[in-house]
Amino acid sequence: MKLKIAQILFLCLGFFAYANFANAYYNPGQPDGFVNDYSSTLTSEQKQLLENKLTQFERDSSNEISIAIINDLQDDTIENFAEKLFKDWRIGKKDKDNGVLILVAKENREMRIEVGYGLEGTLTDAQSNWIINKIMKPAFQSNDFYKGINDATDKIIAATKGENIPNLETSPKQNFNFDWEMVFGIGFFGLMWLSAILGRSKSWWLGGAIGAILGIIMGIIKGFLYFGITSLAILIPLGLLFDFIVSKQYRTGKSRGHVPWWIGGGRWGSGKSGGFGGFGGGMSGGGGSSGKW
Amino acid sequence: MNKTLIIIGVVVLLVGGYIWSTYNRLISANEAIDNQWAQVETQYQRRFDLIPNLVESVKGVMSQEQKIFGELADSRSRYSGASDASQKAEAATQVEGALSRLIAIMENYPELKSAENVQTLMAQLEGTENRISVERKRYNDVVQNFNVTIKRFPTNLIANQLGYSAKNYFEAEDGTETAPKVDLQK
Repeated sequence: MKLKIAQILFLCLGFFAYANFANAYYNPGQPDGFVNDYSSTLTSEQKQLLENKLTQFERDSSNEISIAIINDLQDDTIENFAEKLFKDWRIGKKDKDNGVLILVAKENREMRIEVGYGLEGTLTDAQSNWIINKIMKPAFQSNDFYKGINDATDKIIAATKGENIPNLETSPKQNFNFDWEMVFGIGFFGLMWLSAILGRSKSWWLGGAIGAILGIIMGIIKGFLYFGITSLAILIPLGLLFDFIVSKQYRTGKSRGHVPWWIGGGRWGSGKSGGFGGFGGGMSGGGGSSGKW
Repeated sequence: MNKTLIIIGVVVLLVGGYIWSTYNRLISANEAIDNQWAQVETQYQRRFDLIPNLVESVKGVMSQEQKIFGELADSRSRYSGASDASQKAEAATQVEGALSRLIAIMENYPELKSAENVQTLMAQLEGTENRISVERKRYNDVVQNFNVTIKRFPTNLIANQLGYSAKNYFEAEDGTETAPKVDLQK
Protein backbone atom coordinates (compact mmCIF):
# COMPACT_ATOMS: atom_id res chain seq x y z
CA MET A 1 0.00 0.00 0.00
CA LYS A 2 2.75 2.39 0.98
CA LEU A 3 4.57 1.57 -2.20
CA LYS A 4 1.49 2.35 -4.22
CA ILE A 5 1.04 5.77 -2.65
CA ALA A 6 4.71 6.51 -3.17
CA GLN A 7 4.36 5.51 -6.79
CA ILE A 8 1.39 7.77 -7.34
CA LEU A 9 3.16 10.68 -5.69
CA PHE A 10 6.19 10.07 -7.82
CA LEU A 11 4.07 9.99 -10.95
CA CYS A 12 2.38 13.24 -10.01
CA LEU A 13 5.73 14.89 -9.37
CA GLY A 14 7.03 13.64 -12.66
CA PHE A 15 3.95 14.90 -14.39
CA PHE A 16 4.28 18.40 -13.00
CA ALA A 17 7.96 18.57 -13.75
CA TYR A 18 7.23 17.48 -17.28
CA ALA A 19 4.35 19.88 -17.73
CA ASN A 20 6.56 22.75 -16.69
CA PHE A 21 9.27 22.06 -19.22
CA ALA A 22 7.26 20.88 -22.17
CA ASN A 23 6.15 23.47 -24.71
CA ALA A 24 2.45 23.36 -24.98
CA TYR A 25 2.07 19.74 -25.85
CA TYR A 26 -0.31 17.88 -23.61
CA ASN A 27 -1.24 14.24 -23.78
CA PRO A 28 -4.94 14.10 -24.56
CA GLY A 29 -5.19 10.69 -22.92
CA GLN A 30 -4.34 7.06 -23.44
CA PRO A 31 -5.67 5.63 -26.68
CA ASP A 32 -8.59 3.28 -26.22
CA GLY A 33 -8.63 2.17 -29.82
CA PHE A 34 -7.35 3.19 -33.23
CA VAL A 35 -9.84 6.06 -33.35
CA ASN A 36 -9.61 8.59 -30.55
CA ASP A 37 -12.01 11.48 -30.76
CA TYR A 38 -11.50 14.00 -27.98
CA SER A 39 -13.77 16.59 -29.54
CA SER A 40 -16.95 14.53 -30.02
CA THR A 41 -16.86 15.14 -33.73
CA LEU A 42 -17.72 11.65 -34.90
CA THR A 43 -20.88 9.80 -34.03
CA SER A 44 -20.35 6.51 -32.24
CA GLU A 45 -21.48 4.71 -35.37
CA GLN A 46 -18.89 6.47 -37.55
CA LYS A 47 -16.26 5.83 -34.93
CA GLN A 48 -17.11 2.14 -34.91
CA LEU A 49 -16.94 1.90 -38.70
CA LEU A 50 -13.49 3.46 -38.75
CA GLU A 51 -12.39 1.35 -35.83
CA ASN A 52 -13.45 -1.84 -37.61
CA LYS A 53 -11.66 -0.86 -40.77
CA LEU A 54 -8.44 -0.01 -38.99
CA THR A 55 -8.55 -3.12 -36.82
CA GLN A 56 -8.97 -5.23 -39.93
CA PHE A 57 -6.16 -3.38 -41.66
CA GLU A 58 -3.88 -3.95 -38.70
CA ARG A 59 -4.71 -7.63 -38.75
CA ASP A 60 -3.98 -7.90 -42.47
CA SER A 61 -0.86 -5.82 -42.73
CA SER A 62 0.28 -5.18 -39.13
CA ASN A 63 0.34 -1.47 -39.99
CA GLU A 64 -1.24 0.68 -37.32
CA ILE A 65 -3.16 3.74 -38.41
CA SER A 66 -4.32 5.93 -35.59
CA ILE A 67 -6.76 8.80 -35.74
CA ALA A 68 -6.77 11.53 -33.14
CA ILE A 69 -9.16 14.46 -33.17
CA ILE A 70 -8.41 17.07 -30.56
CA ASN A 71 -9.96 20.43 -29.83
CA ASP A 72 -6.90 22.62 -29.91
CA LEU A 73 -3.14 22.57 -29.89
CA GLN A 74 -2.71 25.09 -27.09
CA ASP A 75 -0.16 27.23 -28.94
CA ASP A 76 1.94 24.29 -30.03
CA THR A 77 2.67 23.64 -33.68
CA ILE A 78 0.88 20.71 -35.21
CA GLU A 79 4.18 19.19 -36.29
CA ASN A 80 5.52 19.16 -32.75
CA PHE A 81 2.25 17.97 -31.29
CA ALA A 82 1.97 15.10 -33.74
CA GLU A 83 5.54 13.97 -33.15
CA LYS A 84 5.10 13.99 -29.37
CA LEU A 85 1.75 12.23 -29.50
CA PHE A 86 3.19 9.60 -31.83
CA LYS A 87 5.97 9.03 -29.34
CA ASP A 88 3.60 8.85 -26.38
CA TRP A 89 1.26 6.42 -28.01
CA ARG A 90 4.03 4.45 -29.68
CA ILE A 91 2.05 3.86 -32.84
CA GLY A 92 3.29 1.06 -35.07
CA LYS A 93 5.03 -2.20 -34.34
CA LYS A 94 8.20 -2.02 -32.36
CA ASP A 95 10.72 -3.20 -34.92
CA LYS A 96 8.84 -2.04 -37.99
CA ASP A 97 7.82 1.47 -36.97
CA ASN A 98 4.88 1.02 -39.30
CA GLY A 99 2.47 3.49 -37.74
CA VAL A 100 0.57 6.44 -39.16
CA LEU A 101 -1.07 9.15 -37.12
CA ILE A 102 -3.82 11.33 -38.53
CA LEU A 103 -4.09 14.29 -36.22
CA VAL A 104 -6.87 16.84 -36.54
CA ALA A 105 -6.95 19.98 -34.39
CA LYS A 106 -10.42 21.37 -34.84
CA GLU A 107 -10.17 24.85 -33.43
CA ASN A 108 -6.85 25.52 -35.12
CA ARG A 109 -8.26 24.13 -38.35
CA GLU A 110 -5.06 22.20 -38.91
CA MET A 111 -4.35 18.59 -39.69
CA ARG A 112 -1.28 16.42 -40.06
CA ILE A 113 -0.40 12.97 -41.26
CA GLU A 114 2.61 11.78 -39.30
CA VAL A 115 4.32 8.76 -40.77
CA GLY A 116 6.43 6.27 -38.83
CA TYR A 117 9.99 5.51 -39.97
CA GLY A 118 9.00 2.21 -41.46
CA LEU A 119 6.34 3.60 -43.79
CA GLU A 120 8.22 6.65 -45.00
CA GLY A 121 9.11 4.83 -48.18
CA THR A 122 5.57 3.80 -49.08
CA LEU A 123 3.61 6.76 -47.79
CA THR A 124 5.79 9.62 -48.93
CA ASP A 125 5.56 13.22 -47.81
CA ALA A 126 4.26 14.18 -51.20
CA GLN A 127 1.50 11.58 -50.99
CA SER A 128 0.56 12.71 -47.50
CA ASN A 129 0.47 16.24 -48.75
CA TRP A 130 -1.76 15.24 -51.62
CA ILE A 131 -4.13 13.36 -49.28
CA ILE A 132 -4.36 16.36 -46.99
CA ASN A 133 -4.97 18.93 -49.71
CA LYS A 134 -7.04 16.91 -52.12
CA ILE A 135 -9.03 14.63 -49.80
CA MET A 136 -9.21 15.98 -46.30
CA LYS A 137 -9.27 19.70 -46.92
CA PRO A 138 -12.34 19.87 -49.19
CA ALA A 139 -14.33 17.56 -46.91
CA PHE A 140 -13.34 19.45 -43.80
CA GLN A 141 -14.28 22.73 -45.44
CA SER A 142 -17.78 21.44 -45.97
CA ASN A 143 -17.76 20.24 -42.35
CA ASP A 144 -17.87 16.55 -43.28
CA PHE A 145 -15.15 15.29 -40.96
CA TYR A 146 -16.10 11.66 -41.25
CA LYS A 147 -15.83 11.69 -45.03
CA GLY A 148 -12.48 13.47 -44.94
CA ILE A 149 -11.00 11.08 -42.42
CA ASN A 150 -12.55 7.98 -43.91
CA ASP A 151 -11.39 8.77 -47.45
CA ALA A 152 -7.97 9.70 -46.15
CA THR A 153 -7.58 6.34 -44.39
CA ASP A 154 -8.63 4.60 -47.62
CA LYS A 155 -5.92 6.43 -49.51
CA ILE A 156 -3.33 5.73 -46.85
CA ILE A 157 -4.23 2.05 -46.88
CA ALA A 158 -4.01 2.05 -50.66
CA ALA A 159 -0.61 3.72 -50.51
CA THR A 160 0.77 1.12 -48.13
CA LYS A 161 -0.77 -1.90 -49.85
CA GLY A 162 1.54 -4.52 -51.16
CA GLU A 163 4.50 -3.22 -49.26
CA ASN A 164 4.25 -5.03 -45.97
CA ILE A 165 3.95 -8.76 -46.22
CA PRO A 166 1.25 -9.76 -43.75
CA ASN A 167 2.81 -11.68 -40.93
CA LEU A 168 0.86 -14.16 -38.90
CA GLU A 169 2.85 -14.07 -35.73
CA THR A 170 1.55 -11.09 -33.90
CA SER A 171 4.35 -9.26 -32.19
CA PRO A 172 3.73 -8.84 -28.48
CA LYS A 173 1.48 -5.91 -27.80
CA GLN A 174 2.84 -5.30 -24.37
CA ASN A 175 6.14 -3.52 -24.14
CA PHE A 176 8.48 -5.07 -21.67
CA ASN A 177 10.21 -1.95 -20.53
CA PHE A 178 9.16 -2.42 -16.95
CA ASP A 179 6.33 -4.81 -16.42
CA TRP A 180 5.21 -4.51 -12.84
CA GLU A 181 3.17 -7.62 -13.10
CA MET A 182 6.19 -9.63 -14.11
CA VAL A 183 8.32 -8.15 -11.36
CA PHE A 184 5.57 -8.97 -8.94
CA GLY A 185 5.37 -12.50 -10.25
CA ILE A 186 9.08 -13.11 -9.99
CA GLY A 187 9.11 -11.54 -6.54
CA PHE A 188 6.29 -13.81 -5.45
CA PHE A 189 8.00 -16.93 -6.73
CA GLY A 190 11.24 -15.80 -5.18
CA LEU A 191 9.56 -15.27 -1.83
CA MET A 192 8.09 -18.74 -1.79
CA TRP A 193 11.36 -20.27 -2.78
CA LEU A 194 13.18 -18.26 -0.16
CA SER A 195 10.74 -19.15 2.54
CA ALA A 196 11.22 -22.80 1.71
CA ILE A 197 14.96 -22.50 2.22
CA LEU A 198 15.06 -20.00 5.04
CA GLY A 199 12.34 -21.71 6.96
CA ARG A 200 14.35 -24.91 7.02
CA SER A 201 17.59 -23.22 7.99
CA LYS A 202 18.11 -22.72 11.70
CA SER A 203 19.76 -19.33 11.58
CA TRP A 204 18.21 -15.88 11.05
CA TRP A 205 21.18 -13.98 9.65
CA LEU A 206 20.86 -15.60 6.23
CA GLY A 207 17.67 -13.62 5.56
CA GLY A 208 19.51 -10.42 6.36
CA ALA A 209 22.36 -11.36 4.02
CA ILE A 210 19.92 -12.09 1.20
CA GLY A 211 18.27 -8.75 1.90
CA ALA A 212 21.66 -7.10 1.52
CA ILE A 213 22.34 -8.83 -1.78
CA LEU A 214 18.92 -7.82 -3.09
CA GLY A 215 19.67 -4.26 -2.03
CA ILE A 216 22.93 -4.30 -3.97
CA ILE A 217 21.22 -5.66 -7.05
CA MET A 218 18.55 -2.99 -6.87
CA GLY A 219 21.20 -0.34 -6.43
CA ILE A 220 22.99 -1.62 -9.52
CA ILE A 221 19.84 -1.72 -11.59
CA LYS A 222 18.80 1.77 -10.62
CA GLY A 223 22.34 3.01 -10.84
CA PHE A 224 22.20 5.31 -7.88
CA LEU A 225 24.41 4.91 -4.87
CA TYR A 226 21.91 6.34 -2.44
CA PHE A 227 19.17 4.18 -3.82
CA GLY A 228 21.32 1.12 -3.17
CA ILE A 229 22.05 2.24 0.37
CA THR A 230 18.40 2.96 1.07
CA SER A 231 17.37 -0.41 -0.23
CA LEU A 232 20.10 -2.01 1.86
CA ALA A 233 18.85 -0.22 4.95
CA ILE A 234 15.33 -1.40 4.29
CA LEU A 235 15.98 -4.86 2.97
CA ILE A 236 18.41 -6.16 5.61
CA PRO A 237 16.02 -5.76 8.55
CA LEU A 238 13.21 -6.93 6.31
CA GLY A 239 15.19 -10.04 5.40
CA LEU A 240 15.95 -10.73 9.02
CA LEU A 241 12.33 -10.34 9.97
CA PHE A 242 11.25 -12.50 7.09
CA ASP A 243 13.68 -15.24 8.05
CA PHE A 244 12.51 -15.00 11.63
CA ILE A 245 8.84 -15.32 10.74
CA VAL A 246 9.33 -18.08 8.22
CA SER A 247 11.57 -20.10 10.48
CA LYS A 248 9.07 -19.81 13.27
CA GLN A 249 6.14 -20.70 11.06
CA TYR A 250 8.02 -23.63 9.63
CA ARG A 251 8.87 -24.97 13.04
CA THR A 252 5.37 -24.60 14.41
CA GLY A 253 3.93 -25.90 11.14
CA LYS A 254 6.22 -28.90 11.18
CA SER A 255 5.37 -29.76 14.77
CA ARG A 256 1.69 -29.71 13.80
CA GLY A 257 2.39 -31.90 10.84
CA HIS A 258 1.67 -29.52 8.01
CA VAL A 259 3.58 -26.62 6.60
CA PRO A 260 1.72 -23.45 5.50
CA TRP A 261 1.13 -23.41 1.72
CA TRP A 262 3.18 -20.28 1.19
CA ILE A 263 6.26 -21.97 2.54
CA GLY A 264 5.82 -25.23 0.77
CA GLY A 265 5.52 -23.92 -2.76
CA GLY A 266 2.72 -23.32 -5.20
CA ARG A 267 1.55 -22.23 -8.61
CA TRP A 268 1.37 -18.78 -9.90
CA GLY A 269 -0.05 -17.60 -13.18
CA SER A 270 -1.35 -14.50 -14.85
CA GLY A 271 -3.72 -13.87 -17.70
CA LYS A 272 -4.11 -10.79 -19.84
CA SER A 273 -7.61 -9.90 -20.93
CA GLY A 274 -8.35 -9.20 -24.57
CA GLY A 275 -9.40 -6.02 -26.34
CA PHE A 276 -7.33 -3.13 -27.59
CA GLY A 277 -3.95 -3.57 -25.97
CA GLY A 278 -2.37 -0.31 -27.01
CA PHE A 279 -0.10 0.32 -29.93
CA GLY A 280 2.97 -1.71 -30.68
CA GLY A 281 5.81 0.64 -29.79
CA GLY A 282 6.71 2.25 -33.12
CA MET A 283 8.60 5.47 -33.73
CA SER A 284 8.28 8.35 -36.15
CA GLY A 285 10.89 10.87 -37.13
CA GLY A 286 8.79 13.77 -38.28
CA GLY A 287 7.89 12.40 -41.70
CA GLY A 288 4.56 13.19 -43.30
CA SER A 289 2.81 16.40 -44.08
CA SER A 290 0.62 19.08 -42.52
CA GLY A 291 -2.12 21.29 -43.81
CA LYS A 292 -4.89 23.74 -42.95
CA TRP A 293 -8.48 24.07 -43.94
CA MET B 1 31.80 -18.16 8.56
CA ASN B 2 33.70 -15.04 9.44
CA LYS B 3 31.39 -12.03 9.75
CA THR B 4 33.97 -9.40 8.79
CA LEU B 5 34.72 -11.35 5.66
CA ILE B 6 31.06 -11.20 4.68
CA ILE B 7 30.90 -7.47 5.32
CA ILE B 8 34.02 -6.85 3.25
CA GLY B 9 32.62 -9.04 0.50
CA VAL B 10 29.36 -7.09 0.47
CA VAL B 11 31.15 -3.76 0.29
CA VAL B 12 33.40 -4.93 -2.54
CA LEU B 13 30.37 -6.24 -4.40
CA LEU B 14 28.54 -2.96 -3.90
CA VAL B 15 31.37 -0.77 -5.14
CA GLY B 16 32.37 -3.12 -7.93
CA GLY B 17 28.82 -3.51 -9.12
CA TYR B 18 28.32 0.21 -9.07
CA ILE B 19 31.41 0.89 -11.17
CA TRP B 20 30.48 -1.86 -13.59
CA SER B 21 26.94 -0.61 -14.14
CA THR B 22 28.02 3.01 -14.41
CA TYR B 23 30.65 2.13 -16.98
CA ASN B 24 28.08 0.33 -19.09
CA ARG B 25 25.60 3.15 -18.73
CA LEU B 26 28.14 5.70 -19.92
CA ILE B 27 29.08 3.58 -22.90
CA SER B 28 25.44 3.27 -23.96
CA ALA B 29 24.76 6.96 -23.49
CA ASN B 30 27.79 7.83 -25.58
CA GLU B 31 26.77 5.38 -28.25
CA ALA B 32 23.25 6.85 -28.31
CA ILE B 33 24.70 10.24 -29.18
CA ASP B 34 26.65 8.88 -32.15
CA ASN B 35 23.62 6.99 -33.31
CA GLN B 36 21.40 10.05 -33.09
CA TRP B 37 23.93 12.17 -34.91
CA ALA B 38 23.85 9.66 -37.74
CA GLN B 39 20.09 10.15 -37.90
CA VAL B 40 20.55 13.90 -38.21
CA GLU B 41 23.09 13.40 -40.99
CA THR B 42 20.74 11.08 -42.87
CA GLN B 43 18.15 13.82 -42.95
CA TYR B 44 20.72 16.40 -44.05
CA GLN B 45 21.64 14.14 -46.90
CA ARG B 46 18.02 13.83 -47.84
CA ARG B 47 17.73 17.58 -47.95
CA PHE B 48 20.79 17.86 -50.17
CA ASP B 49 19.38 15.33 -52.55
CA LEU B 50 16.24 17.41 -52.91
CA ILE B 51 17.90 20.76 -53.47
CA PRO B 52 19.22 20.14 -57.01
CA ASN B 53 15.77 19.00 -58.12
CA LEU B 54 14.15 22.05 -56.64
CA VAL B 55 16.72 24.38 -58.14
CA GLU B 56 16.32 22.70 -61.49
CA SER B 57 12.58 23.15 -61.53
CA VAL B 58 12.52 26.79 -60.45
CA LYS B 59 15.62 28.05 -62.23
CA GLY B 60 13.85 28.79 -65.46
CA VAL B 61 11.24 31.02 -63.90
CA MET B 62 13.59 32.60 -61.40
CA SER B 63 16.33 33.44 -63.87
CA GLN B 64 17.19 36.82 -62.30
CA GLU B 65 17.79 35.33 -58.83
CA GLN B 66 21.23 33.88 -59.57
CA LYS B 67 22.65 35.08 -56.25
CA ILE B 68 20.59 32.74 -54.13
CA PHE B 69 21.41 29.75 -56.30
CA GLY B 70 25.09 30.57 -55.90
CA GLU B 71 24.70 30.72 -52.12
CA LEU B 72 22.99 27.38 -52.07
CA ALA B 73 25.67 25.75 -54.16
CA ASP B 74 28.40 27.25 -51.96
CA SER B 75 26.92 26.05 -48.70
CA ARG B 76 26.38 22.60 -50.19
CA SER B 77 29.97 22.20 -51.18
CA ARG B 78 31.03 23.47 -47.79
CA TYR B 79 29.01 20.72 -46.17
CA SER B 80 30.55 18.04 -48.37
CA GLY B 81 34.00 19.34 -47.44
CA ALA B 82 33.30 19.41 -43.69
CA SER B 83 35.25 16.82 -41.75
CA ASP B 84 33.82 16.74 -38.24
CA ALA B 85 30.40 17.04 -36.68
CA SER B 86 30.58 20.66 -35.60
CA GLN B 87 31.77 21.83 -39.05
CA LYS B 88 28.99 19.85 -40.64
CA ALA B 89 26.45 21.37 -38.31
CA GLU B 90 27.68 24.82 -39.15
CA ALA B 91 27.55 24.25 -42.88
CA ALA B 92 24.09 22.73 -42.57
CA THR B 93 22.85 25.87 -40.84
CA GLN B 94 24.08 27.90 -43.79
CA VAL B 95 22.25 25.65 -46.19
CA GLU B 96 19.18 26.18 -44.10
CA GLY B 97 19.50 29.95 -44.25
CA ALA B 98 19.95 29.95 -48.03
CA LEU B 99 17.07 27.56 -48.46
CA SER B 100 14.63 29.63 -46.45
CA ARG B 101 15.65 32.72 -48.44
CA LEU B 102 15.01 30.83 -51.65
CA ILE B 103 11.59 29.81 -50.41
CA ALA B 104 10.84 33.40 -49.40
CA ILE B 105 11.81 34.64 -52.85
CA MET B 106 9.68 31.95 -54.46
CA GLU B 107 6.67 33.57 -52.86
CA ASN B 108 7.03 36.31 -55.45
CA TYR B 109 6.48 33.89 -58.28
CA PRO B 110 2.85 32.76 -58.19
CA GLU B 111 3.32 30.64 -61.31
CA LEU B 112 5.75 28.44 -59.34
CA LYS B 113 3.26 27.76 -56.62
CA SER B 114 0.73 26.36 -59.02
CA ALA B 115 3.20 24.10 -60.82
CA GLU B 116 2.59 20.47 -59.90
CA ASN B 117 6.23 19.41 -59.72
CA VAL B 118 7.20 22.38 -57.57
CA GLN B 119 4.36 21.58 -55.21
CA THR B 120 5.53 18.01 -54.85
CA LEU B 121 9.09 19.08 -54.24
CA MET B 122 7.99 21.60 -51.67
CA ALA B 123 5.97 18.98 -49.81
CA GLN B 124 9.03 16.74 -49.74
CA LEU B 125 11.22 19.58 -48.62
CA GLU B 126 8.80 20.53 -45.90
CA GLY B 127 8.72 16.96 -44.64
CA THR B 128 12.50 16.82 -44.67
CA GLU B 129 12.87 20.06 -42.77
CA ASN B 130 10.47 18.76 -40.17
CA ARG B 131 12.42 15.52 -39.90
CA ILE B 132 15.62 17.45 -39.44
CA SER B 133 14.14 19.45 -36.60
CA VAL B 134 12.79 16.30 -34.95
CA GLU B 135 16.08 14.45 -35.18
CA ARG B 136 18.01 17.46 -33.97
CA LYS B 137 15.73 17.82 -30.98
CA ARG B 138 16.30 14.16 -30.17
CA TYR B 139 20.03 14.67 -30.59
CA ASN B 140 19.91 17.41 -27.98
CA ASP B 141 17.88 15.14 -25.71
CA VAL B 142 20.46 12.35 -25.76
CA VAL B 143 23.28 14.85 -25.32
CA GLN B 144 21.48 16.31 -22.34
CA ASN B 145 21.01 12.87 -20.88
CA PHE B 146 24.71 12.17 -21.31
CA ASN B 147 25.83 15.50 -19.91
CA VAL B 148 23.65 15.25 -16.85
CA THR B 149 24.87 11.73 -16.21
CA ILE B 150 28.55 12.50 -16.37
CA LYS B 151 28.26 15.65 -14.29
CA ARG B 152 26.36 14.09 -11.42
CA PHE B 153 28.11 12.80 -8.34
CA PRO B 154 29.45 10.15 -8.02
CA THR B 155 29.26 9.21 -11.70
CA ASN B 156 31.52 12.15 -12.53
CA LEU B 157 34.42 10.40 -10.79
CA ILE B 158 34.15 7.43 -13.11
CA ALA B 159 33.43 9.57 -16.16
CA ASN B 160 36.59 11.57 -15.49
CA GLN B 161 38.61 8.40 -15.26
CA LEU B 162 37.25 7.32 -18.62
CA GLY B 163 37.98 10.71 -20.15
CA TYR B 164 34.40 11.62 -20.95
CA SER B 165 33.55 15.28 -21.12
CA ALA B 166 30.32 17.16 -21.78
CA LYS B 167 29.16 17.20 -25.41
CA ASN B 168 27.95 20.26 -27.28
CA TYR B 169 24.32 20.85 -27.92
CA PHE B 170 23.04 21.50 -31.36
CA GLU B 171 22.37 25.18 -31.44
CA ALA B 172 20.54 26.54 -34.42
CA GLU B 173 21.39 29.96 -35.75
CA ASP B 174 18.96 32.73 -34.93
CA GLY B 175 15.89 32.54 -37.05
CA THR B 176 16.45 28.97 -38.14
CA GLU B 177 15.21 27.17 -35.04
CA THR B 178 12.02 26.35 -36.80
CA ALA B 179 11.85 24.70 -40.15
CA PRO B 180 11.35 27.10 -43.05
CA LYS B 181 7.63 27.36 -43.49
CA VAL B 182 6.45 26.28 -46.88
CA ASP B 183 2.92 27.42 -47.39
CA LEU B 184 1.47 26.80 -50.79
CA GLN B 185 -2.05 27.54 -49.71
CA LYS B 186 -1.69 31.29 -49.53
